[in-house]
Amino acid sequence: MLYVVLFFLIFSLYLYVVLGGADYGAGIVELFSSEENQKITKKTIYRVMGPVWEANHIWIIILIVILWIAFPVYYNIMVVHLHIPLTIVLLGVTLRGVAFVFRHYDAVIDNSQKLYDGMFKISSLVTPIFLGIVFGALIGGKIHITEDVSTLTFYDAFIAPWFNVFSVLVGLFFAALCAFLSSVLLIGESEEGNENIYIRKSAIATIVVFVLGLVTFGYGYSTGNIFVTDFIKNPLALIAVVCSAGLLLPLWTTIRKGNKVWSRFFAGLQVFLILLAALISHFPDIIITQTKSISLLHDIAPDSVINVLGISLIIGGTLILPGLFHLLKSFKMIKILEEKNNPSI
Amino acid sequence: MENLDAARLQMAFTLIFHIVFACIGMVMPFFMVVSHYKWLKTRDQIYLTLTKSWQKGVAIFFVTGAVSGTALSFELGLLWPEFMKHAGPIIGMPFSLEGAAFFVEAIALGFYLYGWGKLPERFHWITGIIIGVSGVASGILVVAANGWMNSPSGFDYIDGQFLNIDPIQAMLNPAWFTQALHMTLAAFTATGFAVAGIHAYQVYKKRKVELHTKAFKIAITFGAIAAILQPISGDISAKDIAERQPVKLAAMEAHYHTQKGAPLYIGGIVDNETKVVKYKIVLPGMLSFLAFGDFDAEVKGLNDFPEDELPNVAMVHYAFQVMVGIGTLLLFAGILYFISLKRKKWFNSIKYWLLFVLLAPMGFIALEAGWIVTEVGRQPWIIHKIMRTKDAVTPMPGIVFSFYTYVVVYLTLTVAVTWLMLRQIKVLNNSNH
Repeated sequence: MLYVVLFFLIFSLYLYVVLGGADYGAGIVELFSSEENQKITKKTIYRVMGPVWEANHIWIIILIVILWIAFPVYYNIMVVHLHIPLTIVLLGVTLRGVAFVFRHYDAVIDNSQKLYDGMFKISSLVTPIFLGIVFGALIGGKIHITEDVSTLTFYDAFIAPWFNVFSVLVGLFFAALCAFLSSVLLIGESEEGNENIYIRKSAIATIVVFVLGLVTFGYGYSTGNIFVTDFIKNPLALIAVVCSAGLLLPLWTTIRKGNKVWSRFFAGLQVFLILLAALISHFPDIIITQTKSISLLHDIAPDSVINVLGISLIIGGTLILPGLFHLLKSFKMIKILEEKNNPSI
Repeated sequence: MENLDAARLQMAFTLIFHIVFACIGMVMPFFMVVSHYKWLKTRDQIYLTLTKSWQKGVAIFFVTGAVSGTALSFELGLLWPEFMKHAGPIIGMPFSLEGAAFFVEAIALGFYLYGWGKLPERFHWITGIIIGVSGVASGILVVAANGWMNSPSGFDYIDGQFLNIDPIQAMLNPAWFTQALHMTLAAFTATGFAVAGIHAYQVYKKRKVELHTKAFKIAITFGAIAAILQPISGDISAKDIAERQPVKLAAMEAHYHTQKGAPLYIGGIVDNETKVVKYKIVLPGMLSFLAFGDFDAEVKGLNDFPEDELPNVAMVHYAFQVMVGIGTLLLFAGILYFISLKRKKWFNSIKYWLLFVLLAPMGFIALEAGWIVTEVGRQPWIIHKIMRTKDAVTPMPGIVFSFYTYVVVYLTLTVAVTWLMLRQIKVLNNSNH
């Protein structure tokens, strides 16, 4: 059953990164667009994300719940030492969700839209940066584990673990990854004549992801970051990253040919490979602290808990996944219907 | 401010807000599907306008409920890491099922909101039902987790270790049913009266009288039925607490001295120093009867519990009085509504509508007071008789700043949501069905 739980943990992490990531990315793309393109993007985001965005963000709740039930010690380190960036993520999630609904459900369209838009765009950028910072902090080797936190200064215990160059670079990398996913998605969803906006955005995002990836690694390597040095020694991780980079070629071929199913598949696969590389290079030691690495599998919940959780996840999964699939399919169906009713689109 | 106090205030503050959003998001879908059903049956355009207006309300409240709920799922760990480290695995079951129920709700909501004219009518309507049912299921599961804090079960506590964990027994703890029943009825009462009150105000102001009367009737029917059933659930809860958490019962009643044939105090001012309640109404023997079904039963008083195991008596007592007082008021208002269905001319009376306008916030005040009773009444324990709240709090100092940030953000959100609702109603009043 432990494997079932681990599968769902990684599965929901992956789906959150891809679906939630594309969702954040949409706001980032909007933020870095000209005023005219912002309007187009806003409309497209509403149409594409409207029915599914809430579902996209539930993956993080599933992720957190699995962590605290099955891996309580791991979760404990995270919530104690990364309290501040996690709180910022929460505020970001709150403001972003609210802004999204406000800007689309406000009965009156007036100047307040500017405020909602601003809130939406800024929180779409800040939230994934801090999510990335949290991940960077977990692998960054700056967390100081001690029996009694009060022996440390506030800075050492609660700021230094995440407020450092490496973590911030990982944060920026994740935000760029979100923008990349989203712009690839939006190519296929944009109305005719607007594809070029997103093709251009995809190209820029690809370059930014690539450069930030190199900088993060280069910095990590030069400062002797354990995660990075182990990563480079791990052949599987390296193969995964090289494959991910190699997929750029088919990705761009499919984008140019306008094949939206395959281009999304390749982009999703690339992100999967990056995530896989990050996880296997040090698995199961997902937290790297100043003195030691802490295994995800260290001090896990008792078997009785893992078994019940595994069964709940299987039942929940069989309920949710078909529904989610139909939702994704239906809103696509809706778009096709719209096209039929209104040939001008 | 002490870290512990700041953490408790932040938790209380975010929960107080989340409960309102969550209840409305959980109950309003039922109003919406009733109106939707009437539209499908009668093809009366008014019901369509009303359904679409309510669905916007559902969407806005669902999202505010969802994001504040996401925040809470993190806050449990951020503020109470020691609690979650031990309790997380034990009470994970209701939370993981709640996650699933919530997911189903979000999917159904996606179908419902975007399905107008695109999905088969009946299927579309059913997705509305699924929103409501899964919302109520989520609520019940979360309350079950809270029930565990009041009546921990499903493990053996040996030498500070939680052993032989049985997550299913933990979820089905002795308090889950009474608490879930009481809370579900409270959610229907509070939301029913609040929504009915808003529409009553529109009738009172003579705006779109036909539409708002229809809306009022749907909402108040739910609220009134729940309010009439609530005392039965309250009685079950009281007997349950008398047995499981006698100190909480004693605090609710500000009952200091153990005695047989204990009297029930209504109102009064608690003086915790001298341990007397002044200016109260005394009903002899009633407390014994309500707690144990016997006028002569012995009820243990606060004086017989260790000093360091007592909650804030005054706060629990006052909150309890508010809850019961308003509950009784709403019970009579509910009966009044059903009488008014027979006496149609009441609907023309301005006073009738004014009454329901004034009752609009009452249900929520009672609901929050009820949560203060159960949560403050549980103190100083975070897990009853197992772990103290002060031992669970985060070691990170300066939580008070986090608390202030939440206060600013949530107050702003409340203002914004209220303003959006006002705009919604304005547009509804200007529409031509």
